[in-house]
Amino acid sequence: MLYTVLPLEEVLEGIEQEPGPTVQLTLGGITVEAEPLGNFQARVVRVLSTDPRHFLEPHCQPGFLIHGQIV
Amino acid sequence: MFEQPEAEQLPEREAPGLQTIKELGQTVTPGGPLAEEMPFHCLTIIGQIEGHLVLPPRNKTTKYEHVIPQLVAIEQNPKIKGLLVVLNTVGGDIEAGLAIAEMLKTMTTPVVSLVLGGGHSIGAPIAVAADHSLISETATMTIHPIRLSGLVIGVPQTYEYLDKMQERVIRFIVQHSRIPEETLREMMFRTGELVRDVGTVLVGSEAVRAGLIDEVGGVGTALNRLSQLVAQREGGMH
Repeated sequence: MLYTVLPLEEVLEGIEQEPGPTVQLTLGGITVEAEPLGNFQARVVRVLSTDPRHFLEPHCQPGFLIHGQIV
Repeated sequence: MFEQPEAEQLPEREAPGLQTIKELGQTVTPGGPLAEEMPFHCLTIIGQIEGHLVLPPRNKTTKYEHVIPQLVAIEQNPKIKGLLVVLNTVGGDIEAGLAIAEMLKTMTTPVVSLVLGGGHSIGAPIAVAADHSLISETATMTIHPIRLSGLVIGVPQTYEYLDKMQERVIRFIVQHSRIPEETLREMMFRTGELVRDVGTVLVGSEAVRAGLIDEVGGVGTALNRLSQLVAQREGGMH
């Protein structure tokens, strides 16, 4: 349930578009869920860890672009 | 298309830096500003607070499932002495917003909040959850009722549910700020101030006069207050 000053049609514009498939990757020992973008790039969606320190790591923030081969 | 340079063409001294880029997408400079521990951390609550529903990519969002473990990490780290929460939010998911507010409220690490730009809707409980709250002179806070959104079956129970959600927000704000309940309710349902809606817009000092926020100020004042809270806490511990 949303409680916002923005009109709902503005917030939910484009909601019909399904998000892309995600993969699990390990970044420096931290498991993250990431969305492959092609061109050897992926974007971090969320951190999968119970260690709270992992959530403060700069390279694990949601939206961070990972470069490199995804195997 | 860019030409990818062949690995063997690169001078050897650049190799370690490039490895970092390949692995993480960024260069980490040891001994740089990040290597020094900062005593205060800063959490920015921006855009929409995203909760149970993944919002379309056009929205800037604060993801609560990421913020909550960060707060746990801050609470557990003795080197982090205080937390500054900077708010510039248009609102968002009620339960995610209240979850962040409850986390901030129950932390033993001193927390100061600063409303910059806007702290609307569910931003209000988050702002008041801090040990001390500030608002910048030009920042605004919109107090308005919760509206129906999403798939709602129009039965009387729906309105009771909506009412309960509304009560949760009101109770939290009243318990954690100086605003009297009657004033908050009157502001929430006031007509004539917002063009298409009921509610009230509070600008800077108006939020302080209403008792919602403790003080008008900026980042300097906020960090001073945080230092004072840390000193008080450390003084009390000895």
